[in-house]
Amino acid sequence: MKFRDMISMSFANLFHRRVRTVLTVMGVVIGTCAIIVMLSLGFGMRQSMEDLMKSMGDLTVITVYGSGSDSSEGLDDSALKDLRKLPEAAAITPVYFLDSSCVAVNCRKYQFQGMIYGVAMDTLEKFGYEAETGSLPESDFKNTDILFGSQSAYSFCDTSRKSNNYVEPIPNKNGELPKPFVDLTKNRFTLSVNLPEDSTARNKEEKLRVLGTLKEDFSRNPSPSSCIFMDYAYAKELREKYNKLNKVKGSSDFYDQIILKMNSIDVVPEAVQKITDLGYQSYSMESQRNEVEKQLRTVQLILGGLGAISLLVAALGITNTMVMSIYERTREIGIIKVLGCVVWNIRAMFLMEAGAIGFLGGAAGIGISYGISAFLNSLAAQMSASGGGGIFAMGGKISIIPIWLIFGSIAFSTLIGIISGILPANRAMKISALTAIKQE
Amino acid sequence: MNIISIRDIRKVYHIGTEKVVALGRISLSVAQGEICCILGTSGSGKSTLLNIMAGLERPSRGNVVIGGTDVTRYNEKQWALFRQKNIGFIFQSYDLLPTMTALENVAMPLAFRGMDKEIRTRKAVKMLRAVRLGNRMLHRPTQMSGGQQQRVGIARAFVARPRLIFADEPTGNLDSKTGREVMELMVSMARKYRETLIIVTHDPEIAKYAGRVIKIHDGSKISDERNTEAMGTKEES
Repeated sequence: MKFRDMISMSFANLFHRRVRTVLTVMGVVIGTCAIIVMLSLGFGMRQSMEDLMKSMGDLTVITVYGSGSDSSEGLDDSALKDLRKLPEAAAITPVYFLDSSCVAVNCRKYQFQGMIYGVAMDTLEKFGYEAETGSLPESDFKNTDILFGSQSAYSFCDTSRKSNNYVEPIPNKNGELPKPFVDLTKNRFTLSVNLPEDSTARNKEEKLRVLGTLKEDFSRNPSPSSCIFMDYAYAKELREKYNKLNKVKGSSDFYDQIILKMNSIDVVPEAVQKITDLGYQSYSMESQRNEVEKQLRTVQLILGGLGAISLLVAALGITNTMVMSIYERTREIGIIKVLGCVVWNIRAMFLMEAGAIGFLGGAAGIGISYGISAFLNSLAAQMSASGGGGIFAMGGKISIIPIWLIFGSIAFSTLIGIISGILPANRAMKISALTAIKQE
Repeated sequence: MNIISIRDIRKVYHIGTEKVVALGRISLSVAQGEICCILGTSGSGKSTLLNIMAGLERPSRGNVVIGGTDVTRYNEKQWALFRQKNIGFIFQSYDLLPTMTALENVAMPLAFRGMDKEIRTRKAVKMLRAVRLGNRMLHRPTQMSGGQQQRVGIARAFVARPRLIFADEPTGNLDSKTGREVMELMVSMARKYRETLIIVTHDPEIAKYAGRVIKIHDGSKISDERNTEAMGTKEES
């Protein structure tokens, strides 16, 4: 028997029992919709999570902390040397933290109160920092060259006043920001190491050269906001000087962090492993993302499972329909056997019928899923426009249907149909022609 | 030449612990082109005999030879392939497939053989015209009367030009007038195409159309007579 003839016989049967076929197909439609919509919600969630991650930090950056209870313990120059040996690192910088208790950056009577980060100034560009005014340092820079963060102007405190000594960067009614005490690009700034309070010695002031200000970017670490960036060797020198003057015990050799920028996301897990092997603790958005991904996968599995349950019910529906159909057509099957239809043709026809139910259900299910998905997205858009929606609406879409899911679900529903048809088809095949034609 | 010959056929059913002998040592041969009627009351074993000859049932003992081939030990698949080529069937309740038109029903046995649609449609059209249903080709079984349906059934049995056609109570569901028409048609078709026809019936009226009548009672052959004045022969001459 020709394949085409078997197909046309199968479809004739499906068409002959229209109502039942439509009802069974509807079961599959609901099952397919459930799976697709559930999975698309998972994909939407993943997408917004990923967008969120990207806005939170660079995925190719690894931050290394020291081992032991004191997190800076161990990150000295030899550690820096070790880490420099890592392949695939595009840039590496130590980060040395200083604050206003240690050094004072002054402009007239105003004193800087933010963080001072000692970094490898020539790597800033590679780490993705951008200059808002001025320019990022090239290889030739002096110790006293600094960069301000974008909000640093508001971190200056009026030392002559006890209260109300800051300008807050809060826009007024017209949406204009108040003028800060200092102008980062025009004013002159000096730096001095703090002395003990009882000291009578005079602060030795150094003139600073402002190379520029950095553009705000919260995805960077350290974020170029209310801070000063300077060369790490100079920062270390300042700390040493402070320790000596204030008779502080302890080493100034240790960096607070060492930050690596990798060539690509793919090498991050490997690099993290190597860093761990060297005995350092590290943090990367990538490993963070892996954690989130794991959780998302669980969520997706649960969602998909819910959908799968309804498809399972649909599969039982197909089997039921096919079994019913066999009971009704027992005599018919007997007749075609008597007329010379070979048994595997009978089985093939039943499998085709079941597969066609699955296929039609899958195809219709995709169409309807697209509708549901569009509806959910428009709902989410409305919610986020009115301020609700939470993290779901961050990416704009809460339901995403990738192309592969379309083909996948059609193939899957067809397969489910065929599998559901196996039992009835075998049953049909085994019907004895004699008993079938004896039946009225 | 004998198209079918059965030898010492015996069929015993085991119902519980009881043995029921349906057929006890029956032998008969039917020649090519013969129209043969197996006549018997209900329970005489005539249907069992038909089932055995058509390969739907296996005899407990004995042989079935069709066209020189011993088909007694054929399995289901072999029988299916054998029936495709060699056997036509006419049923009491017509048994056309409700999903198909008259034309498709007639062409179906050819489709089982894997014949191209074009060729089989041409053959089916020819056969439907032969049973005078040229104007009902695209009707479905539900749109036709019993007599018309049985004529489609006859066309379906003849279309593949088998060596042997079995008819199981072909007029059982028809009124006597339509029954006569159908019988006349069937017999004249068999003569026209030189087909061997074996009719199984309980109705002595039907037997009048056959050239040979074999009476069966309680699983045994009780008579085997030639009927030289078979009805329907006039038309052919």
